[in-house]
Amino acid sequence: MPKIERREFLKLVGAGSVGVGAGFMLRETIKHPPEYLIPHVVAPEDFSTGIATWYNTVCSMCSAGCGISVRTREGRAKKIEGNPNHPVSQGKLCGLGQSGLQVLYNPDRLTGPLQRMSARGGETFEQITWNEGLSRVADRLDLLRAAGRGNRICLLSQGVGGHLAQLFELFMAELGSERLLHYDYDHPHTLYAANRQFFGEEHLPYYDLKNTRYLLSFGADYLGNWISPVHHSLGFGHSRQGRPDIRGRFVQIEPRMSMSGAAADEWIAAKPGTEGVLALGLAHHLITQGYYQGADLDAWRQALRDYTTTQVAEQTGVATTTITRLANTFARSQSSLAIGGGIAANHSNGVDTLVAVNALNYLVGNLGKEGGLLFNPEPAGSVSHPRQASFRTMLKLAKDAREGNIEVLILNGTNPAFTMPAAAGFTEALSEIPLIVSLSSFMDETTALADIILPSHTYLESWGDDFPEPGVGFPTGAVSQPVVSPLYNTRATGDIILTLAQHSGLSDAIPWNSMEDCLKDGWREIYERADEETRTESFEVFWRSMLKAGVWGEKSQRDQTFTLAEGVIDNIGVAPPEFSGSPDDYPFVLHPYISNSFHDGRGANLPWMQELPDTMTSVVYGSWVELNPVTAEGLGLKEGDLVDIESPHGRVRAPVYVYPAIMPDVVAMPIGQGHSTYGRYAKDRGVNPIEILSAQMEPHTGSLASSATRVKIVATGKRVELIKTGGTSRDLGREIVQRFDPTAQSKTGGAHSTQLNSIPITTVTT
Amino acid sequence: MQAETNDLQYADVNNDIVRSIVETGPRYYVALGIAGGVALLCFFFPWFYQLYFGIGAAGLNHPGVWGTYLASFIFWIGLSHSGTLLSCVLHLTNSSWRKAMYRSAEAMTLFSLMVAATFVMVHVGRPWFIHWALPYANQMEMWPNFRSPLLFDVMAIATYLTGSSIFIYMGSIPDFAAVRDRTTGWRNTMYTLLSLGWRGTDREWHRLHWAYTFLAVLIIPLAVSVHSIVSWDFAMSLVPALHQTIFAPYFVVGAIYSGTAGIVTVMFVLRRYMNFEQYITKVHFDNLGKLLLLLSLIWTYINMVELFTAWYSDTSTEHEALSYKLFGYYAWLYWEMIAFCAVAPLLCISGRFRTSMVPMLILSIAINIGMYTERFLIVGTSLSRQYLPDSWGVYVPSLVEMSIILGSFALFTTLFLIFVKIFPSVSIYEVKETMDTPTVTSNAEPIAPPEGSPA
Amino acid sequence: MSIFERFTEGWKKYRKPGYYREFDYHWAMTIDLDKCTGCEACVTACKAENNLPIVGEEEFAKGREVQWIRIERYWEGEYPNVKLGFIPMLCQHCDAAPCETVCPVSATYHNQDGLNTQIYNRCIGTRSCAVYCPFEVRYFNFNDHHWDSPLDQQLNPDVTVREKGVMEKCTFCIQRIRQAKDDAKDDGRRRVRDGEVQPACVQSCPSNALVFGDRKDPDSQVAKSMKDPRAYRVLEELNTDPSVVYLKKVDAKG
Ligand SMILES: Nc1nc2c(c(=O)[nH]1)N[C@H]1C(S)=C(S)[C@@H](COP(=O)(O)OP(=O)(O)OC[C@H]3O[C@@H](n4cnc5c(=O)[nH]c(N)nc54)[C@H](O)[C@@H]3O)O[C@H]1N2
Ligand SMILES: Nc1nc2c(c(=O)[nH]1)N[C@H]1C(S)=C(S)[C@@H](COP(=O)(O)OP(=O)(O)OC[C@H]3O[C@@H](n4cnc5c(=O)[nH]c(N)nc54)[C@H](O)[C@@H]3O)O[C@H]1N2
Ligand code: SF4
Ligand code: SF4
Ligand code: SF4
Ligand code: SF4
Ligand code: SF4
Repeated sequence: MPKIERREFLKLVGAGSVGVGAGFMLRETIKHPPEYLIPHVVAPEDFSTGIATWYNTVCSMCSAGCGISVRTREGRAKKIEGNPNHPVSQGKLCGLGQSGLQVLYNPDRLTGPLQRMSARGGETFEQITWNEGLSRVADRLDLLRAAGRGNRICLLSQGVGGHLAQLFELFMAELGSERLLHYDYDHPHTLYAANRQFFGEEHLPYYDLKNTRYLLSFGADYLGNWISPVHHSLGFGHSRQGRPDIRGRFVQIEPRMSMSGAAADEWIAAKPGTEGVLALGLAHHLITQGYYQGADLDAWRQALRDYTTTQVAEQTGVATTTITRLANTFARSQSSLAIGGGIAANHSNGVDTLVAVNALNYLVGNLGKEGGLLFNPEPAGSVSHPRQASFRTMLKLAKDAREGNIEVLILNGTNPAFTMPAAAGFTEALSEIPLIVSLSSFMDETTALADIILPSHTYLESWGDDFPEPGVGFPTGAVSQPVVSPLYNTRATGDIILTLAQHSGLSDAIPWNSMEDCLKDGWREIYERADEETRTESFEVFWRSMLKAGVWGEKSQRDQTFTLAEGVIDNIGVAPPEFSGSPDDYPFVLHPYISNSFHDGRGANLPWMQELPDTMTSVVYGSWVELNPVTAEGLGLKEGDLVDIESPHGRVRAPVYVYPAIMPDVVAMPIGQGHSTYGRYAKDRGVNPIEILSAQMEPHTGSLASSATRVKIVATGKRVELIKTGGTSRDLGREIVQRFDPTAQSKTGGAHSTQLNSIPITTVTT
Repeated sequence: MQAETNDLQYADVNNDIVRSIVETGPRYYVALGIAGGVALLCFFFPWFYQLYFGIGAAGLNHPGVWGTYLASFIFWIGLSHSGTLLSCVLHLTNSSWRKAMYRSAEAMTLFSLMVAATFVMVHVGRPWFIHWALPYANQMEMWPNFRSPLLFDVMAIATYLTGSSIFIYMGSIPDFAAVRDRTTGWRNTMYTLLSLGWRGTDREWHRLHWAYTFLAVLIIPLAVSVHSIVSWDFAMSLVPALHQTIFAPYFVVGAIYSGTAGIVTVMFVLRRYMNFEQYITKVHFDNLGKLLLLLSLIWTYINMVELFTAWYSDTSTEHEALSYKLFGYYAWLYWEMIAFCAVAPLLCISGRFRTSMVPMLILSIAINIGMYTERFLIVGTSLSRQYLPDSWGVYVPSLVEMSIILGSFALFTTLFLIFVKIFPSVSIYEVKETMDTPTVTSNAEPIAPPEGSPA
Repeated sequence: MSIFERFTEGWKKYRKPGYYREFDYHWAMTIDLDKCTGCEACVTACKAENNLPIVGEEEFAKGREVQWIRIERYWEGEYPNVKLGFIPMLCQHCDAAPCETVCPVSATYHNQDGLNTQIYNRCIGTRSCAVYCPFEVRYFNFNDHHWDSPLDQQLNPDVTVREKGVMEKCTFCIQRIRQAKDDAKDDGRRRVRDGEVQPACVQSCPSNALVFGDRKDPDSQVAKSMKDPRAYRVLEELNTDPSVVYLKKVDAKG
């Protein structure tokens, strides 16, 4: 072996290491790099995702009754999606519906029965047991019933349908009380009334948006919150781009652009409350242009003689050319459809307006026709409408309370202390009631007044059922089942009522031990109503298959022929709207609108909804008041300037949002914020515009004319920074949202490809 | 300069400078204490707070994901430039006036680079994994992304740091030897190690000069490339106003500019507080003033080119970025920058101004404030106005960030103060080279004339 | 195989133009702006599916919200002739993604499915990808996030919860793609069927504005939809080659 000097050794070592290093680097460089990165994104063979269990049930976040599928893992609800089998939601769901998880897992839920320790207005409650709570209530009910004063018991619920509604009926009847009321701020009383007047039945028809070619919406924010937004959106998408060579067009008539207005092809601002006049103006044009040839043509001509295009243009502020163009297109595009509601119906002339809208459909023959307005069969189960309390009924209740005629008030879910204007004095009236019992799951404003709180399960923990009221053209219903075991020491509303009934010895009339039994009995009737051939071998099989599918439907079609009721035509006419406050003192009309995120305020305790940018303004966590840019400039106001919105009945303070699509003399505010209690996410955030509304009503229905309050805007000189995601909402020629002119471009390059929205409805045959 | 050092003797130089190392007065400790304390309180404490709570401690947001930390990073990299780079250039051009100042200038490079590297740590969301940006062999067989300009950065800075360290160290070896010969105890041991057995033979001197010049030639392109590469972090993005070809020269000039101003500041301090009046003279300030003037003109020109390009592009995005820079939320900062970096340095036209110490100090500080602003604006304005207007937003630094910026200067000062006690902060032998040959005294060995030379 | 052979093989493979487009699947999405109503059901769905944090009012005000998909709004015209266009904006899964080149640690890269993936574990939080992304769809975790108990019980176990200091963004719901591939394998199928993968946003969209699928399959909904004459890409001039294709809003009057 040759002798190696120290130096040589070092040199060799050096060269060796460099060589090894270089070799190593070379080896690395020729490998396929991603193989050695990131085991989960390129998951190893043996990596496997977990198995989830899905439960079908019903969304209770609004009254649309969408069918939902809840994904659970290890006994916890993880996600809510639409039930693809359910005809209302067809696998889709709105943001609020998806946030139901945060109702279930809300950290501010009431975890067990409570009783008041301080005077009303304070919030000191002490924990009690269910037995204590229930017997305190039952004792009082017994006492009143025995004394024949059962009618002094009032049950005030949020709108519920199905067998829970029936249970309420039974229970109250047994107690001897007629005071069973459902109350939802946005219940469309005027729409029901208009339908009764026009069609002779007090139901909601089915609006076939999916097949329509031309939709005129008078104030109805059908994509945002009106009646059944998810179902309408499905129809909207299909009508727009779901059919080869046909693209439905949508026109929105309202003083402030709603999200339906933004999605529409055309947005038209008519003066607040004149939407019905505009509808009749269109009708007049249809008659005079000979689009209508019915036997009663003369009667129509006579009835509409005051609604000439020029007169209507003057009253509504809509150009004559627009009126004639809308009317012509409406008549020529078959099938077309006119709908009305929301802001247009919340006026003193609301019912007349909606009758006028129905007349439009009648005149061009949209009734009972695909793509138009279809009549629903009788709902297969109870719906909430017959018991829905109008504003007038609520005033009556308040009066009764003040006069000492109500001794026990049982509240279920509804929150009138928040959704009634201060001018109604409802909250004060409640304090006259000796015993208020709340079954709410949350400490909302009304529950905070209660003496005893017997908190209910959330809808994801309890049994129930629902027969969607807007209907889908055939009888349908769905059972809601618990998807997780109850988190807290709460009970299902139905079970609470059943226990109270047992306490009071009403078991003969109300025999069930649990809501589940009650439901099953009810559904056995539905099962039995099917004929022998289509029926499954046993009720149990039927029941299980229905729970699995999450929905039940019957293959029956209703007769769609329609004859106009007597006297309808003579009574057609829309009076000018009435507003509270004089235009001199209160120059603006306030337009409070149901928020897409919070609905009537019930969603304000959900952090997802608080952090969901408002569709139109992108604002989060707060309230704002929308002003036309010109109005804002005239008042010297910029975005973020705090102003007082003052009506004859009070004032609220909110920052200005300069809104490009609102009439100059209208200001708009979203409903939903401004809670004084209702949990950490809702409390002390923004303001509630309902507070300052005047107690104006629509005279036929007694519903609140919530768009009929005038206000003034008083600058405070203070400023806040609006929290929002939007930076500069103008695209500066960058062509971000591009538009397509179908007339300018040839239609080459493949057919329309969008997905047909035809998830088959699983009809569980009975 | 010659005139001023003429009355100095070789021995005085050695003594003066060694004294600055071994004799430490209370003033030094006070200064070190304050600097260190401020660094701890304003830099490290807020940083640890940020480590604990997350980058949210800074004012960063969407779209302002980059902010003062990155601006500070560029600022300190920029400041590093005039040290070693200038020293190299002056060495190669044989400018004798360089000799008294270059050591501290190089130190500045070193410490600015260190502070800059620290800012990388402060900037990233998970500094505990910062080593993943280094190409080291590991059992996961994961490498950094060599396509990333950020990785080029890491490489460039690491190379520059290595190069500058070797350069300053090599140039100091004879001085370490000089100090070694005049100290005892642990210092003697330390300087014995540091001086690598330097004996001052001809051969050693010859090799030192050769290597030194070689390194100087090598470092110049390196320094230029470092800031070019830093500019690519921005220029290689698609962000309007960042995606610009001018960025590399713009950054290099800006770096040298702020670095030169930084040298003026440091020289002032050394001269005033380390009693180096005789080594750092008005000539230095005069020359640096001229350099500042030249650099400011180039810098201003490049700025105008940048504006012109944006205007000429005729695109909505560039125009928006341009008008936002000039008139938007941060406009006052832009005009402050123009005043400090384009207008104020014109004073250097006057010779009297250049040789007045305090005004030069003020100017140098103003330039660096302006240059800091420049870096902030590059990040801040551009990110505020990108492609999608609905995502526009504004970023405002938080208190934590302000504090860390302030603290970084204290950190730099602390490092510098430690440096002056270890390194001879003025090059002993090179200063001597500029002096007359000393008369032989009894305590010095007579220098034998080389053999064969004419007597 | 010798080192040399491997080297030449690798060289050949990676020198071939467009080699990086050789995906197993090539997931893509189309967004029909004519159908989108701006309802933000997709935004909520993504939050629920992917464990997006609730940042709180204070952080939101600072601009630190996290929305893997968001709705942008662009107004056109002035009252009364004013229009509003909504556009859902999510990671475009660019095939030439600028965010990928800039990441110093390859924490974001293209996988074999044509997805722009985000590797939280690997991310060191330089935020440069967010700067480089022209669509501004990358969201940074400025802080650790907190779910008020029991809200945390909702968290999806198939998706990680990101810690402070890492970047996150839309993954095209990679866990659902994963699940669909597993299902296909269990069924003995080689490939996932069209429509089998529905990202949460697509799944929820009430107007069916979103279509997702494999564009390598010419019969898939998405491949057909991409051929629509209304198809365009946002910021097409930047040439990032997005996998998200928008269908123009139809502007029809009268
Ligand atoms: N994060 C985490 N780490 C852990 C644990 C944990 O719970 N979490 N658990 C720890 C425990 S308890 C253990 S025991 C270890 C297990 O650690 P490992 O021993 O690494 O376990 P495996 O991955 O199960 O198997 C190793 C390899 O064996 C291969 N293999 C299977 N059958 C055969 C065969 O017949 N012949 C040969 N040659 N190869 C075969 C498999 O394909 C796989 O590649 O992990 C430990 N590490
Ligand atoms: N499918 C599959 N099955 C396997 C294996 C596999 O690779 N694949 N591997 C097999 C092997 S090698 C092993 S070792 C077993 C492991 O099987 P197990 O022992 O069941 O392992 P783990 O699930 O890791 O841990 C059990 C529990 O211990 C809890 N725990 C953690 N720390 C503590 C502690 O300090 N105190 C107490 N009391 N509890 C604690 C954890 O929360 C967990 O609930 O699994 C075997 N089974
Ligand atoms: S519309 Fe939304 S909130 Fe209402 S039921 Fe349907 S999913 Fe629930
Ligand atoms: S959209 Fe942005 S984040 Fe997504 S791949 Fe493209 S550049 Fe990357
Ligand atoms: S933030 Fe993370 S993913 Fe983005 S560039 Fe930095 S390390 Fe890469
Ligand atoms: S594809 Fe998945 S991750 Fe991406 S935006 Fe949609 S829901 Fe969110
Ligand atoms: S869910 Fe669909 S319609 Fe609604 S905003 Fe998202 S993409 Fe648009």
